[in-house]
Amino acid sequence: MVGIVIVSHSAKVAEGICDLARQMAKADQKILPAGGMADGSIGTDAFKVSEAIQAAWSDDGVLVLVDLGSALLSTDMAMEFLDEAIRERVRVADAPILEGAIGAVVEASVGSSLEQVLSTAEGAREMRKII
Amino acid sequence: MYPLTEIQLVLMNPTGLHARPASQFVQTAARFKSKVQIIAGSKRADGKSILNVMTMGLKKGADFTVSADGEDEAECLAALQALVEGNFGEG
Repeated sequence: MVGIVIVSHSAKVAEGICDLARQMAKADQKILPAGGMADGSIGTDAFKVSEAIQAAWSDDGVLVLVDLGSALLSTDMAMEFLDEAIRERVRVADAPILEGAIGAVVEASVGSSLEQVLSTAEGAREMRKII
Repeated sequence: MYPLTEIQLVLMNPTGLHARPASQFVQTAARFKSKVQIIAGSKRADGKSILNVMTMGLKKGADFTVSADGEDEAECLAALQALVEGNFGEG
């Protein structure tokens, strides 16, 4: 099952998205938060992100969802800390973080491939709320 | 007689086919090989796609058709019917 990592500037946002997404996922779905700095302040921490990726890791790979700006920079840096074998199976979604996370966990929970989970997360960009 | 490959259902759970119920629907549909579609009015969604299903915006009271096409279509429809009629386990 593809693992999911949520990178946000706020630890509360990352944890909250994980809590919500777990409601939609199978019990053994891995969804890990990587939010805030080591001292709890607002920011993103590449080391925290790489730890979360390793904790979410399986051979099926990991999808990372990021909030804004430096969340992506920290995620790129986190990739540098990872073994090449892991890095090759990590993707970063260009998706809204919450809607993308919900789509991703459901797709991952049904056993879809990393590329399918990525595509579903990114598909959340097109999701209308008022129809 | 046509084989039974579609069923009519009404959503009676409070939140309709959103978020958690939508994910349960998709995860149940995904257990089967059959192609699953949800049809409501002029809208049609892939029953195995969470975004498709949530985009349908089906609320409490909505009636809709679920069709299944494939070798396990009868079992698939029975499982989806049980899920919807059981109100997705909601109170």
